[in-house]
Amino acid sequence: MLERRLVIVTGKGGVGKSAVAAALAVAARRRGKKVLAVSMVGPGDGLAAHLGTGRLAPEATELRPGLWALHVDRARALAEYLQSQMRLPTIATFGPVARAFDAFAAAAPAIREIVAIGKVLWEVRRGTWDIVVVDGPPTGQVGSYLRAAKTIEELVPAGRIADQAGWMDETLRDPDHTSLGLVTIPEELPTVESEELLGWLAREQVVGHHQIVANRVLDPLEVPATLPAGPAGDAARLHLALWEGQRSWLERLPPDLELPYLFGLLTPTEVAARLADTWEAR
Amino acid sequence: MSTRALLVTGGGGVGKTTLAAALGVAAARRGVRTLVVTVDPAKRLADALGAASLGTEPQPLEDEPNLWAAMLDASASWEAIARRHADPAAADRLIANPFFHAATTQFPASQSYAAAEEAVTFIDARAWELVVVDTPPAAGGIEFFTAPKAITDLVGGRLLRWMTGGNLPGRRFLFDRTARPVLRIAGTVLGTQLLDQIAQFFMDLRTTYDGVRRRAKEIEAHLRRAHTVVVTTADPTPLREAVRFFRELPDVARRPEAVVFNRTLPESWIDADPGGLPEPLASNLRRWAAEAHRQQELRAEFASRYDTRLAVVPWQPEPPTDLDALERLVKASEDLEELLSAPWA
Repeated sequence: MLERRLVIVTGKGGVGKSAVAAALAVAARRRGKKVLAVSMVGPGDGLAAHLGTGRLAPEATELRPGLWALHVDRARALAEYLQSQMRLPTIATFGPVARAFDAFAAAAPAIREIVAIGKVLWEVRRGTWDIVVVDGPPTGQVGSYLRAAKTIEELVPAGRIADQAGWMDETLRDPDHTSLGLVTIPEELPTVESEELLGWLAREQVVGHHQIVANRVLDPLEVPATLPAGPAGDAARLHLALWEGQRSWLERLPPDLELPYLFGLLTPTEVAARLADTWEAR
Repeated sequence: MSTRALLVTGGGGVGKTTLAAALGVAAARRGVRTLVVTVDPAKRLADALGAASLGTEPQPLEDEPNLWAAMLDASASWEAIARRHADPAAADRLIANPFFHAATTQFPASQSYAAAEEAVTFIDARAWELVVVDTPPAAGGIEFFTAPKAITDLVGGRLLRWMTGGNLPGRRFLFDRTARPVLRIAGTVLGTQLLDQIAQFFMDLRTTYDGVRRRAKEIEAHLRRAHTVVVTTADPTPLREAVRFFRELPDVARRPEAVVFNRTLPESWIDADPGGLPEPLASNLRRWAAEAHRQQELRAEFASRYDTRLAVVPWQPEPPTDLDALERLVKASEDLEELLSAPWA
């Protein structure tokens, strides 16, 4: 995944999507790459915490040498687009466009999504970054973002945005260019939701490459058959029962990469660093 | 029959659906005539609730004299709104509008609104003493409460009013693109055809405004009266979402009756002494004790910031597969038992 120019990370809420995105960014940076980490939806407080910063700015900001980050502010991204594509002066676009976008975004979903994914793809196209790692929308919504370019092409037969949709669609479909990281944990609902997304991806063919990343995977525990009474026995029993449950979901949806369950009090940056270690150890 | 509503809310993946079902089963077995309404249950839970007959109509459960179950279906929501509130010709146009097709599945809040509308229908039926609703997890469960207003705004045509400068046009003629320079840009970027479709869509949608607004107000009133519990685990993402119920919701919901910490490890593990135990039992206890400690710290931090009842539910490695197991989940938690005995219940 780290060999691609663009990695979009998705996953059901609560599976550790932002932690995995941050870990990927950290692992890429350790390899000496110039990395841009992006929160595509919302302010990205989770991603920010895992990257060890307070808030993400709407423009690329260097957090430490080689590691940059931003969150997509959609109204701003649209204004940028209009300025560069239609040569409109800043003053003429920003205020009115922000207000107009607000009104449109509530009503015309594909537009909201193409602007967000468009911003990401423009950053990739710019050529400044070796890799762009995106903390993307959750599994349930990622489809409408990945498909936004196609939707626009269908919905808008004419119009400037339709021209853009073409190359955006191509970039996403190029397997050497783009990868989707599907983060899951070995439990029923995340597994089922991941399978649904995989089925959708197979039908729609909107991304060229994907990898399944299983997070919070427990390691096997070899203990005597008779366990002592008290906390040690109880902890072993819980571990074994959870491990066994996890095995069945991992067999049903075999991951390309397993990330370990991290125990105890870890700061978000420690979590990202520890997960990045796993990536490196491959 | 006076009906109390218990909305079980919270983000995804915290066991909310299971706990809603468990509370429903426990209440029913205490003799309260109860309906459990779930959204998108896991297969094993659906089986436990009698999956074969689990549909959008409440069904009584076999051998459970006080328990009914239903599933919310939010899929056909927009078509239903259009049919219910628009005149037939406008409804046909709405549904045939290409923009509608692209938009219906993705309108923010549409599924949450449909779920809220259906849940309120059950509460209004006055056929149960308690209706337990497992709310959709969108936006950490917040959207369920804010959806009626979002839908009213949408149908009210904020975009359309903006496009027309506040004067809603009465005729087919839509808007004067020269009136707003931004619309000229929008026309170039999006194409005028799409712009026309959007405007037509909102003009037709606007005819449903009075009906939708009235219904949304009723739904909001019900949601404000309903009791809520917020389900979370001691993990950063769901906790961030739980916090929003205290910060963002005072206008549209009551203060939660309790915050339920699901998948809790025993506090007794934290200071348990692994000394003298053989490996790997000792190191396994140490790491799970560290995990129990982490959970305790997060709970304590939450409790110090938000003055609310905390209910702790032990971590059950096996998801419940029948009604007895669901009831055991409540019985394993003194806090949940207490919650069901609280004055509101």
